[in-house]
Amino acid sequence: MASATTLPRSEAANAPRPADAGILVVKEIVKQFDTPEGPLVAVDRVSLNVRPGEFLAVIGPSGCGKSTLFNIIGGLLDGYQGVVAVAGETVHGPHPAIGMVFQEESTFPWRSVIENVAFPLEIAGIAKKDRLEKAKKFIALVGLNGFEKRYPAELSGGMRQRVAIARTLASEPKILLMDEPFASLDEQTRLLLGDKVLQIQQDLQQTTLLITHNITEAVQLADRILVMTYRPGRVKRIVDIDLPRPRSSDVVSSEAFGRYVAQIWNDLREEASRGMQDEESRALHAGEPP
Amino acid sequence: MSLGVVTRARSFPLVLGLGALAAMILAVEALIRLGAINRFIVPLPSQIVMAFERVVLEEDIAERFRLTFLEALAAGAMITVVGVSLGLLLFRVNVLRRATETWVAAMASAPTVLMYPLFLVIFGRSASTIIMMGFVAGLPPVILKTIEGLAGTRRVLINVGKSFKLTGPQLFLKILFPAALPTIFVGIRLGLIFTLINVVGVEFLINFGGLGQLINDLAERYDLPGTYAAICFVILVSVCFFVLTEWIERWLRPVD
Amino acid sequence: MAEAGRLKVPATTMPWPEPVTALRVAIIAVTLLLWEAIARSGLLYRDVVPSLTAIGGAIWRLLAIPDSQSPTLSFPLTDFELPLPSFYWHLWVTASEVGTGLLVGGLSGLVVGLVLGGNRLLAKSFEPYLYYLGPTPKIIFFPVMIMWFGVGPGSKIAMGAISCFFPIALSTAAGMREIDKVLIQVGRSFRANAWQMATKIYLPAMRHPIINGVRLGLGVAIIGTLLAETKLSNRGVGFLIIQAYSLFDMPRMYAMLIVLFVVAIGANALVGRFGGLHAIRQR
Repeated sequence: MASATTLPRSEAANAPRPADAGILVVKEIVKQFDTPEGPLVAVDRVSLNVRPGEFLAVIGPSGCGKSTLFNIIGGLLDGYQGVVAVAGETVHGPHPAIGMVFQEESTFPWRSVIENVAFPLEIAGIAKKDRLEKAKKFIALVGLNGFEKRYPAELSGGMRQRVAIARTLASEPKILLMDEPFASLDEQTRLLLGDKVLQIQQDLQQTTLLITHNITEAVQLADRILVMTYRPGRVKRIVDIDLPRPRSSDVVSSEAFGRYVAQIWNDLREEASRGMQDEESRALHAGEPP
Repeated sequence: MSLGVVTRARSFPLVLGLGALAAMILAVEALIRLGAINRFIVPLPSQIVMAFERVVLEEDIAERFRLTFLEALAAGAMITVVGVSLGLLLFRVNVLRRATETWVAAMASAPTVLMYPLFLVIFGRSASTIIMMGFVAGLPPVILKTIEGLAGTRRVLINVGKSFKLTGPQLFLKILFPAALPTIFVGIRLGLIFTLINVVGVEFLINFGGLGQLINDLAERYDLPGTYAAICFVILVSVCFFVLTEWIERWLRPVD
Repeated sequence: MAEAGRLKVPATTMPWPEPVTALRVAIIAVTLLLWEAIARSGLLYRDVVPSLTAIGGAIWRLLAIPDSQSPTLSFPLTDFELPLPSFYWHLWVTASEVGTGLLVGGLSGLVVGLVLGGNRLLAKSFEPYLYYLGPTPKIIFFPVMIMWFGVGPGSKIAMGAISCFFPIALSTAAGMREIDKVLIQVGRSFRANAWQMATKIYLPAMRHPIINGVRLGLGVAIIGTLLAETKLSNRGVGFLIIQAYSLFDMPRMYAMLIVLFVVAIGANALVGRFGGLHAIRQR
């Protein structure tokens, strides 16, 4: 992969901020769904705080409400209690300062790579020449220079996710919100892409919130990890990851890394097995009257 | 009950749909009576409803229905037997399949019903013309879907059979054919639909047969309400047939 | 890269023609031979199976020999006028009827499909009507169309329009629902407005179902229009076919059916190719 280019950031983003006021403040989110089996609390009073330039990972078992949280912060889901605020502004619907990268294949198959990446700029009404130039820079940032005119069908899954990331970065969000972006990729590709993400985050000093179920990924990339419980999702523990920066995927072989993974798995194991038991009992009793 | 509860009720869409239809019919009735719509072009819906009864009693609907049904049945049997056999053949003989599959697909979209004057010359103004037209129209989907069903059996299922050392014919009978059956039935159903459409259509065009001929007859007699009523009746028959084949298909593949 | 490592089969350099092509040629040759044999044997009533030369001659006369009612194609700025066989005029009549019918039926089908695809309630309430009315023989509506639109081209256009309305509306509605939800979420996350969502996300995402719907619609519009022409018209290809029938000019009828099929299949292939070209580099 080509080396990343450093992009100048606007003045405001570089200005120092008060230490404990995060760029992203999530306060006491409660989200309940109405299901045929009755009301289901997906997220129960979750609060978190992301500091500028920080990489926060949210990890939890399947069914802990991570994706619900992702959609709430991203402004795609409403009908919840609590507040989401970005740089002091409350979020009502998708906010320009928040960029989302989805778990599923999300590149537009009918657009070339450069047209995909330029999409947010096109929506914002930027002139064609300018937005294509800008898109080129972000394509280079994710290491896909040369692929501008190709179509997503011609790329591998990992490359397509890089296009999706470049597309979101092109909108220059204050906060990058990612929902298990590497879930559909194999382990080795994940580790290498993790490297890429670290590099990008480094260069851009991009504040990032990553939702994942993969422990190694979380420890590899994050400054802090927030562990969630199984349904209803609550914050179980916040772990500071004191691995040195700048990091690369070599860090996975260090002792400290192993200790962090063990610690988090300890917390997670209990939640994950609760989740599994719940699934099994539900499958067993499927079709019975509630 | 709040508006939200009403609109979310299971039956609301059905009620809305039927209600809209009823409202439209009433509106047409009103507009015709007021003279906004020429009653010699669109008869009063109430007259059409009354014509229904008249048509059923006077025009020997049962006999006509039986005729159309038999024609469709004959053509349907033919497309099933010939179609599945040809599909099987093309599947087994790969080079034949590669040579002719696109031709069959082209036939499926070609205006084959336009050959009815030709069939008139060959078979005369008779049920044979109608049955043959139904056959030609319904054949391609059966062939194509048979091939698709057989070819589309998941590789892993065939491998399971091979791992149990099944012979060729056993593999076919116990794995390929059962796996292909749902798709084959989809093809038969599609074929039957095309067959029925063409049977009724050609009956109308050549003025012979059952229900299609009835419409033509009433139209030539300038019996407006009767024509509309007969058209509604044919639509009803067509819909029932479509729903029936849908049920059978669903019954044959309960897992889906 | 995505396809790296895929085994490449070496190209065979056999001197024989490809088996598939050879088989096709063989099938066609055998069919033609059988046909000619039956024609010459006098087995069937004289002209039901005309000889190939008779059919060939009829095709030639149809396409290349101007007749007494020939329209002429005048070239502007010159005195030159090219007499055309009247077939082309009839073909033009039919083509314009089909085209207009496709336009009317297609546009209304597209609009209805978009509305139904976008709204669950409306879809559940009204789409069943389209779904169950779709597989009915539309030609039975022809007497009504004549009443409403007269005996001229209007009724034929109407037949084409109602024929193609249903498949286009249904495939558009289905296409709307099959759009990958995540693509819509991407649009919303970038705060695209309604117009941008429609033109930059919904329509491109639906290009396959729409093109397939149009292909199907073209096919049934051709059928509907032509059948109407055979039933009641004094112009158009359908009229010519039924005229040949009434005059018992079998070679001419065969000629017209052959030309018609070639044109219809060609038109269908063109639309398919147009849609396919778009899709070659995309999923």
